[in-house]
Amino acid sequence: MKNPYGPIQAKIVNIEELSPINKLFTLQIKDNQIRNTFKFKHGQFFILSVPGFGEAPFGFCSSPTIKETFQVSVDKRGSLTSKLFELKKGCEVGIRGPYGNGFDQKKIKNKNLILVAGGCGLSPLRTIIQDANLHPEKFKNIQIFYGCRNPELLAFKKDYNKWNKNIEINLTVDTADETWKNNVGVVTDLLTSEKIKKDCVAILVGPPVMYKFVIQKLVELGLSDEDIYVSLERRMHCGIGICQHCALVNGNYVCTDGPLFSYAEIKDTPEGI
Amino acid sequence: MNDKQLQNFISYLIKNNHNVYSHREIGDEITIKKIETGKDFYLCPKRPLFSFKKLFLPPCQKMMVFKNNITTLNKSQNIKIVLLGLHFYDMKALTLINRVYRKDPHFQKKLRNAIIIGQSPVPAEMEDYQKFEKEVLEHLKFDIFLEAKSHGAQESFRIFTGSEDGQRLLDDFGYKDYENIEYVGPVPKKGLGPVNSMLIEKVRKSRGSKIWKELDKKCINCGKCSIVCPTCFCFKIKDEIKKDEILRTREWDSCFYEEFSEIAGGHKFLDTTEKRIYNWYDHKFVRIPEEYTMPGCVSCGRCTEVCPAGIDIRKNLKRIIEEN
Repeated sequence: MKNPYGPIQAKIVNIEELSPINKLFTLQIKDNQIRNTFKFKHGQFFILSVPGFGEAPFGFCSSPTIKETFQVSVDKRGSLTSKLFELKKGCEVGIRGPYGNGFDQKKIKNKNLILVAGGCGLSPLRTIIQDANLHPEKFKNIQIFYGCRNPELLAFKKDYNKWNKNIEINLTVDTADETWKNNVGVVTDLLTSEKIKKDCVAILVGPPVMYKFVIQKLVELGLSDEDIYVSLERRMHCGIGICQHCALVNGNYVCTDGPLFSYAEIKDTPEGI
Repeated sequence: MNDKQLQNFISYLIKNNHNVYSHREIGDEITIKKIETGKDFYLCPKRPLFSFKKLFLPPCQKMMVFKNNITTLNKSQNIKIVLLGLHFYDMKALTLINRVYRKDPHFQKKLRNAIIIGQSPVPAEMEDYQKFEKEVLEHLKFDIFLEAKSHGAQESFRIFTGSEDGQRLLDDFGYKDYENIEYVGPVPKKGLGPVNSMLIEKVRKSRGSKIWKELDKKCINCGKCSIVCPTCFCFKIKDEIKKDEILRTREWDSCFYEEFSEIAGGHKFLDTTEKRIYNWYDHKFVRIPEEYTMPGCVSCGRCTEVCPAGIDIRKNLKRIIEEN
């Protein structure tokens, strides 16, 4: 019987400091055979570990179409992420996965896409953004609405002007600095009927407090509950639906049934959002 | 099979390299302990506070070792154990855990190396329940089952087998007078049955009602109920730095502990006692029945016995049924 908890060794092949609290790690699975068969879908995640510092779930943040390596963006928050910040190019980490049900791309076929992100929530959405940038034929129009505490903390700043014309980004911050030319305020401010494209599906990744207001706004703007997807964050230990840390009261596990759920699926779930 | 034959059978198992665990009465306490000879065994009708659970899911289990950049997955050793005298409610719990942990190599290896011998004598308060449950042997995970039938002064037993392992052991010992019960899977044809189906609706409906607000004041979140519960199987994975190696272990966890639902940044989804205790009942009486078509509570009553705050699960369920 295959041991589902055994980590695969992956090498850090590049580290980029994106903000004072965020680093982008490029990882490569060491074993050739595993690397060649390792595949993930939009919306999936993996469990990253460093011996002695434990394991934690992270979203992929590079296009699934890139085969040799994949990326993960890490905010320095706890003991594992602080350890990751100490690691250098060439160091190894453990990974297992991919986990989660992934996002079925059929759901957005012939539809425009709205991506609403708060804080570090842009990272897992970058699998879609990068995929759409590399393969524009696979997606229609993409509108990103991204809110952050301040301009310094904005993720993937250097990417924005490299994205193709089908990908539009709208930014807002809580606190501006003297160079800031975009909106100041909450991300909901950016979502207006004039702005958003018709016939769209929305995917939200950010803190629960953002979900409440953004969902309300999107419903007002005419999106159906089925067309609004939210990514739920929960504590996870196993990743395979046993340990119960990520269990929702509606009987779903965030690790195996999510982490992306349509609002229709979880709106009646207590403590869902 | 009579008393003497049973003792000889147990001695035979011990002689053949099996570690035999059985219920022992030490003072007022009933525990599950290893026995050294068949003479130490008797069919204990009392319930041990701590179930068989720790033999299959150890409270702290080594999963892998990291040493000099090499990861070694821990493979549980092939230690043959016999679990003797399991009561039907613990057989039910084991059957459930076997389903939940069906893809878990640690648990499955331990179960493969274990011979489960169930017994019919149960605590007096469970006798009525058991009569109703008898027909469900075909849905339980066991190798041998001992049904006690009084035969004058001497105890005698009707022997059922529930697996090829059970038959082989009895054959090798030289006892043929057994009846085999084919395991037909954990779920009876009738599914959950009316009582458990009704409980799903009632517990779900009760969410947010008065009883949970009362329990919020009463429960002290000690987690003792989840430790003694034979169907509580939650765990956490953590690393431990030793002198020259690092261990990754799996430890029992309890949803009554605050950090159970805590995520990076400190947010806790189950942030009140009310939410945590409801979540426990919801898991046992709503989510497990819906996920596995089996009740998540085997009615053993251990949680009530151990609760320092006097929370009685039977009384609570009665109230939930009446009030919803």
